[in-house]
Amino acid sequence: MWTSGVNALWRAAYRRAVRSAFATVPLYRERWALGGRTDPVVVPGRTGTHGGAITAEEAVRKVVDLVPLAGGAASPDPARGLGHVLPLARPPRPGTLVVVVDPAIPRPPTDLPNTLRGCVLDPASLTGGTRPAALDEVVTALRRNGNVTAVGPDEAIAALVAALPEDLAHRVDRLPHRALDRLDGGPFGLIHDPVLGYLGGIGHCGRWHLDWPRVYARRTTGGLALTLLRQSSPRLVDILVAGGVRGEVAPCPRHGTPVVLT
Amino acid sequence: MTLSVSIVDPRVDAEPSGWADFRRRANLHPVWDYPLLRAEAWTARNPPVLAVLRDRTRVVAALSVMVCRTWREQRFAPPPRERTRRLRPRWAEVYLPLLSGCPAAVFHESLDVAARRDGLRLFERELARHLGPGLLGVVYRAMTDDLVAVLDGPGRISRRIDPTAVLRNRWTRFADWQDTLSPALRRRMAEIAADDTVEVSTATGRTDLDAHELAVLLNAHRARQDQRAWQEGQRSRLAGLHLDTRSPVSAAYLDLLVRRPDVTTRVYRDRAGRLLALNTMLDNPVSPALGHWADLPVGAGGRPGLYLDCYAHCVRQVIERGRPELTAGRTLLDSKAALGFGRRELSTVAVPRPVMGR
Repeated sequence: MWTSGVNALWRAAYRRAVRSAFATVPLYRERWALGGRTDPVVVPGRTGTHGGAITAEEAVRKVVDLVPLAGGAASPDPARGLGHVLPLARPPRPGTLVVVVDPAIPRPPTDLPNTLRGCVLDPASLTGGTRPAALDEVVTALRRNGNVTAVGPDEAIAALVAALPEDLAHRVDRLPHRALDRLDGGPFGLIHDPVLGYLGGIGHCGRWHLDWPRVYARRTTGGLALTLLRQSSPRLVDILVAGGVRGEVAPCPRHGTPVVLT
Repeated sequence: MTLSVSIVDPRVDAEPSGWADFRRRANLHPVWDYPLLRAEAWTARNPPVLAVLRDRTRVVAALSVMVCRTWREQRFAPPPRERTRRLRPRWAEVYLPLLSGCPAAVFHESLDVAARRDGLRLFERELARHLGPGLLGVVYRAMTDDLVAVLDGPGRISRRIDPTAVLRNRWTRFADWQDTLSPALRRRMAEIAADDTVEVSTATGRTDLDAHELAVLLNAHRARQDQRAWQEGQRSRLAGLHLDTRSPVSAAYLDLLVRRPDVTTRVYRDRAGRLLALNTMLDNPVSPALGHWADLPVGAGGRPGLYLDCYAHCVRQVIERGRPELTAGRTLLDSKAALGFGRRELSTVAVPRPVMGR
């Protein structure tokens, strides 16, 4: 698949995203016009720093300048993309309750398919005096033999499981977050970044697949730079996540789609 | 006198020879600095080009010309020479969007009225050739009366727009200017100066500022100001349309501006370090200008009346340096009148394509 044109399509989508960002987004306009960028070069002779990529910290600090001139949302959604990476990492059955337990994700994901129900649960609330309503719903779903998938950092998922009755705890499917610089051997996991959201997950092959229709990655001198291909605002193009992670993007030998090797 | 015109695109063309010398001879404001024009052009929806008028090899006049494709489209201008767009309808505006009270056509004092008239006609012919058949005409915005006199002619349309505020310096001491203010205004200024919850820093050539922070405050302020001007019926509106060809001020531009030795930047912060207001003053031997002013609205934590302190500071500099006048933009003229500012009438002259160069 990779060799039969997916790479060309993927790259074409990225070039469209770069062109659009250069034409409409203030931060990229001034950064790439006055400093430069690579791959593609937009102003001949100017190649910029780190190929024109910016750090996630800078993107957050200057997020108002990542809104296109026509306007749009000015805050990143850390739950973005969950609905698209779930089938890749741990395909949920219809009716599954997806519980996002991450203090950094205050709002439930908006892109889950209609067959799934999502909610957020702050792990800090599990140790407080008041029992959160979402926890009761998790217990109820498990008692009715429903499926529950817990998504979040390891410690947050552990806190959720610890708050459940002992006979139900083992029935929770776990999908731990992994930062791009902390990718492990799985067998389950999602690549998550607090600014860009969900970027991919471990596929059946045990490799870290990118959500390639929506996420592009390329190597720069600053590390892997990631781009959200379909997010209109804030526009996140060539973001160095986790402080800049050395790695490469290669085709999966089994699926032919891009995987991250760090 | 042998006049010639060349038009350069600051985005890609090198600085014209003799440009720095002309800027100095003609006492131009820092906004005419070529690297600043380049930064402005790259980050504009309707980027400026620079027209340079020469007498043989010596630069004797210049015009900053916005090449306008749109007032509605929310996109930056396409990169130059990306492909030929000469047939696309466009118009040109001789205008300094970041110093709107000053004309964007400047002449060396050695040029008499006839030479200026000839030079402008020559410029129009060269502009038509440069931009191609898609050019609809040229609009000279914010022109002073002496320029209107040389621009006027058959088929050219002229109308008054909002005037700009000008303070003539007739004092030798700052205290003398303060004595002309009303007691209430003096009291208010003293209160602001004594407010120890606001920290003020003022310097030229600043490298300690975060230009992005300045740009965010400035663009939010400009958006509020534009909305108010529109609601109050600004005189530059035409046929009920928002004909705004300007672009947001970029952080890159401000970064270059505040680093200049002839730009004084004054910022106000609260005790937590939050930026409350900013001001840039563009120094000039003939006519310093109060460049940018922006503040937080009171509802968002801003402090009322900081602009009074800013104006007092600028007036103090003008008096202490012995400058002849201070210009301060085209808004809030009544408030500025209370500080002693008068008005300089400005006009816009529209020149349709058929009469360009005639």
